Amino acid sequence: MTEIAFWCTALARPWTWAWIAYPGIWLSAILPAVGYMRAIRRHEAPTSSRQTGLLLAGVAIYWVATDWPLGTLGAGYLASAHMLQYLLYTLGAAPLILLGTPEWMTRSVLRRLRATGIATRIGSSLVLAALVYNLLMIGTHAPITVDALRASQFGSFLMDVLWLLAGFVLWWPVIAPIREMRHRSVPSKVAYLFLATTVVAILPASFLTFANFPLYSTYELAPRIGGFSSISDQQVAGLIMKLVTPIVVWATMATMWFRWATAERDGNTGASGHSVSL
Amino acid sequence: MRRPRTLRALVIAVSLLSACSGSALGVFGGGGDLNGVVLDEPTEKPSFVLTDTSGDPYDFAEETEGRLTFLYFGYLSCPDICPVHMAQLGEVFERNPEWKEDSAVVFVSVDPVRDKPEEIRAWLDGFGTDFIGLTGTEEQLVASQEAAVAGVAYQVPDENIGYTVAHAGQVFVYAPDGKGYTQYPFGTRQTDWDNDLPILMNRQ
Repeated sequence: MTEIAFWCTALARPWTWAWIAYPGIWLSAILPAVGYMRAIRRHEAPTSSRQTGLLLAGVAIYWVATDWPLGTLGAGYLASAHMLQYLLYTLGAAPLILLGTPEWMTRSVLRRLRATGIATRIGSSLVLAALVYNLLMIGTHAPITVDALRASQFGSFLMDVLWLLAGFVLWWPVIAPIREMRHRSVPSKVAYLFLATTVVAILPASFLTFANFPLYSTYELAPRIGGFSSISDQQVAGLIMKLVTPIVVWATMATMWFRWATAERDGNTGASGHSVSL
Repeated sequence: MRRPRTLRALVIAVSLLSACSGSALGVFGGGGDLNGVVLDEPTEKPSFVLTDTSGDPYDFAEETEGRLTFLYFGYLSCPDICPVHMAQLGEVFERNPEWKEDSAVVFVSVDPVRDKPEEIRAWLDGFGTDFIGLTGTEEQLVASQEAAVAGVAYQVPDENIGYTVAHAGQVFVYAPDGKGYTQYPFGTRQTDWDNDLPILMNRQ
């Protein structure tokens, strides 16, 4: 009989490929997607199919990162799967959801959440955005947090929410759907992405790669998968963080830079160093 | 006025979280104390004879004399505790190969019906090729557990695999002087082993 649970959590048993149903995760992906589709149908201004596609791609990445098997592996078996989830949230799902959300919908959501003020502040202050993102990144990778949250379904749910939030905060000044909430200077945004994702993140990534003992009891005390030792798993987690982040972020930085440089050359920007559309 | 206060609060929060994660690593503490469960009175190394995976008699006390000895009672179908304990010890010795020479990890199967010697050998090789696997008759196994003052294992019906085996979950460790000062329940971290092994090795 199929096992059913609300959310992924650490399981005190050997890993098997037996499917586990997580209706809580399905609802968290389906309800926002359905709400989005209904809202864009009702709204007078049309939403481009490209934008809709980006949002659905973001939701799909969120779902893949959260649900079985990756979610189950990351919640209780492998630090490397846990890291992959984090990167899918922050570098995949979050930016695509932001790119896929129309401005009017974002304004409405922020108004309902009473978050317009904080969103404006984060968008305008790259230092604040970098601090909040890195606080969330360090906090959710600290062994004490991981081991505490991964032990329960609610804790695991909270960690996933925090990761998605971290992704929104990271990308908000760069690609916020509300143009005036984005930081205006492209060179500053390029520098921000580099500093926010690379400089501080190298600390936990190096800890994971070079520590010669397992940091997380959740993964250390989990039944091993395929003879993969807990220390090798942790090193792979660190390598994933070190290698995947630059690929995504540096590619974005390069794209932003060349578009900005092209626009500058063609004289398309109103003021030197100011934003061009991504 | 509000923004600097927010930033200051964030900086403090980051510092606190970093401090928390540092202490959680267990790397900066340590000291000379044992992290295992320290017994009120040290126990004597048990004496029993079982059969090793080559089919030869194995006199536990005699074969392990003068070595840091790890004794564990488990079974191959064990879903969690046994493979994790063995994997933990295997990884500790892989990281500290210099400890291998003066140590002996002895796994006693308490499921003689299902665990054949060659299967025990193959299973243990997944954790450490020098780990010693023992088996015996029901009577011999009960005697060995009683000698170690371990809870005697018994079968529990299970609809999936016929039965599981309830058994002692801790690793019994004996210092080279033949005394057991500590035991290590499930949940023992590798940093605990790293801390305790050099201390126990010096008790000659």
